[in-house]
Amino acid sequence: MIRAHFTLDSNRRITTFLITGHADAGPYGQDIVCAAVSALAISTVNGLEKLVKVAPQVESDNQNGGLLRVSQLGADHDSQLLLNTLLNGLLDIQESYPDNIKVKMLN
Amino acid sequence: MIMNLQFFSHHKGGGSTANGRNSAGRRLGTKAADGSMVTAGAIIYRQRGTHINPGENVCRGGDDTLYAKVAGVVKFERMGRSKRKVSVYPVAE
Repeated sequence: MIRAHFTLDSNRRITTFLITGHADAGPYGQDIVCAAVSALAISTVNGLEKLVKVAPQVESDNQNGGLLRVSQLGADHDSQLLLNTLLNGLLDIQESYPDNIKVKMLN
Repeated sequence: MIMNLQFFSHHKGGGSTANGRNSAGRRLGTKAADGSMVTAGAIIYRQRGTHINPGENVCRGGDDTLYAKVAGVVKFERMGRSKRKVSVYPVAE
């Protein structure tokens, strides 16, 4: 089960997101939920760095996978657009695969 | 970040187990059937422990194997309420 926690500030802007766990939706190399979540999360991080030109703090366990924590996110429009796209995408995945991912928004 | 599409998947191979070993069968059990003729020294029953006890003219080897001490006919018999034994009875010439 993947758990995605988004921390929001008082203005509902995303300041941190933490994604942990494993999807367990299939064997290694064929896990479609894992692939979807990985693609959304990693492209968000890369988009922030290359497109929006911000440098969030990224902590990830590249050895074992299953841990991605991104903090110090900008409050600017472009950053929040990317982050909310990620949140929206994960919520959609949760709707289709509730047994493999849980998304929470924390204030 | 490197686009690793299995980033949130279990590690490759899913870990290993401590199992996966097995030994060859020991081919235990009856080697001379009840009523059959055996020569002296012939193996009658291979076992671990005394599943069958030695009876007349039968001895037990180091690995609990039962041997015939004399040539004769093999007889599997009861011993007490729940035990069994095997004997060899010489055939009169």
